[in-house]
Amino acid sequence: MGSLNLFLGTNASGKSNFFDALRVLQGIGYGFTVDEVLNGKPKTANSDIWEQIRGGSSRATFVDKSAERTDTVEGVIRFRVKLSSGGSGEVFDYGIGISAAQGCVREEHLSADGQEIYDSRNLSNDISQPYFQVKYYRGTVGRQPHFSFEKSKPVLHQILQKSEIEVEDRESVKICIRALSNTQRIDPSPSVLREYSSAQSWVRRMGEHGENFAALVKTILRNSVNRDRYLSWLKQLTPIEFEDVVILSGAVGEPLFALREGGIDYPAPVLSDGTLRFAAIAAAFFQEDMPDILTIEEIENGIHASRLRLLVELLKTQTQSSLDWTQVMATTHSPVVLAWLEDKDYKTTFYCKRDEQTGASTITPLSKIPKFHEILAKQPISDLFAEGWLEATL
Amino acid sequence: MSFRVLVVPEDPRNNGYILDPLVVRILAECGKPNARVTVLTNPRAQGYEHAKQLLKDQVLAIYSHQDLVLFLPDADGKDRSQAFEELAAVADQTAVDLLCCAAVQEVETWLLAGHTEKLDRPWSEVRNDVSVKENVFIPFLERYGDPKRAGGGRDILMKETLGNYRGLTDRCPELRELENRIRQLIESLTTL
Repeated sequence: MGSLNLFLGTNASGKSNFFDALRVLQGIGYGFTVDEVLNGKPKTANSDIWEQIRGGSSRATFVDKSAERTDTVEGVIRFRVKLSSGGSGEVFDYGIGISAAQGCVREEHLSADGQEIYDSRNLSNDISQPYFQVKYYRGTVGRQPHFSFEKSKPVLHQILQKSEIEVEDRESVKICIRALSNTQRIDPSPSVLREYSSAQSWVRRMGEHGENFAALVKTILRNSVNRDRYLSWLKQLTPIEFEDVVILSGAVGEPLFALREGGIDYPAPVLSDGTLRFAAIAAAFFQEDMPDILTIEEIENGIHASRLRLLVELLKTQTQSSLDWTQVMATTHSPVVLAWLEDKDYKTTFYCKRDEQTGASTITPLSKIPKFHEILAKQPISDLFAEGWLEATL
Repeated sequence: MSFRVLVVPEDPRNNGYILDPLVVRILAECGKPNARVTVLTNPRAQGYEHAKQLLKDQVLAIYSHQDLVLFLPDADGKDRSQAFEELAAVADQTAVDLLCCAAVQEVETWLLAGHTEKLDRPWSEVRNDVSVKENVFIPFLERYGDPKRAGGGRDILMKETLGNYRGLTDRCPELRELENRIRQLIESLTTL
């Protein structure tokens, strides 16, 4: 995958399933149980509320529509990812298979740069056993100890409790945990963006729906370099030149986002949905605590077609710098967004399609679609998308 | 009502950050400080020939409500005068005021004209380089721009260039000529 990854497809083509899969991996990175990952977890003193994956555990397992009989009880949902994080240079191969119906781990493995760290796949982990075993590959020479774990939770977090784990492996596990968990989903809601932030101090990361947006902007504005950068984007958005972004204060100092034009402050409650959503998406790229993966669904929502060029430019430039590790995963239904892509972007622009017979979704890079470049020379991609050519050709 | 101007670039992705403030400034010099300038993004021009074709086939007809259409492509070492005459003939038929001006040799040269002290080549050499974008501008932007800003920092660099507008028109005489043509056009419209 690339720095900016766009997912296209009709409704119910599987785009959101991919984002759900990323959330499952995030929940695993957080150390939740399989049941918590799939069915949600209430807010605690140490963590925010974790919303359930769509459908919860009862609907998590794939059901092949074409199969004569479906056996969802034994069904194992498998995830496998290649990860690199924070410039360590190492590439991790992590895989996990879970039983949604039983709420337990059925298989799991981790390797770093091709060297196995642990693996359960050659062991017979009977589902009736109360524990789950993996083979640890770097024990004393000649011995590969088997460790037993609670089967309701991924091994990834539990293995850190074992004193026998070598320091190097412990670090690899921690990097893997961070890479999986450090995902941020943003879906800025204008109604939330119009509110005073509850946080009165500096905020390093915005909430999913734009919670603490004003406090985040206040944090961005205190750094003059980032302030100028952030403003440069907002100034391109509106046809009317505004002078500044300002943060107003409520009765007890709570921040509120505002734009200043002609000496008059226009607070968030009177600004348009599109202006606020763009301001929030732009602010997400200037967070002090940047995620490894940033997901945004339907990026074009509320933003005028003539400003989508700017949105594409924002997403591309903010993920292309060699200093940035953030990967953006975004969905779009907009032909205008596609019109602003370049040839090199087609490798990481994916078309999702659901197989009518089986119900399975496939995700194909545009660059791998047969005759794509040949057809592109004759017809703009925005037309191909709008006319359903991509859907029909796959 | 504001004086409405449509700018047609070869490629609006990055040229807009240079052309928009430049045209606003030229119009201000011509007595139109509140002109409303729009850089054409839809249909999106992709190169000189495509932009020229778009002008002939669509743009002049669709945007006939504009007070002025400016076509500002790269010269790329070529004499564009005949093509500009052909476009002017089409514009006459659609009753659109069209002015064309080719940047010698590329639009990026207009931005560089305000930063000659930072260039390691004589200005005459920069101005005559048909690949000035690749040879001079991109390395210049990597050094003095900011990849985190809109336009990679072109906006702020162009603002600095426009801080010495007379210097810009001295170094790029085609812009002084363009300014004169726009002034004459505005005067003729006022007379009518």
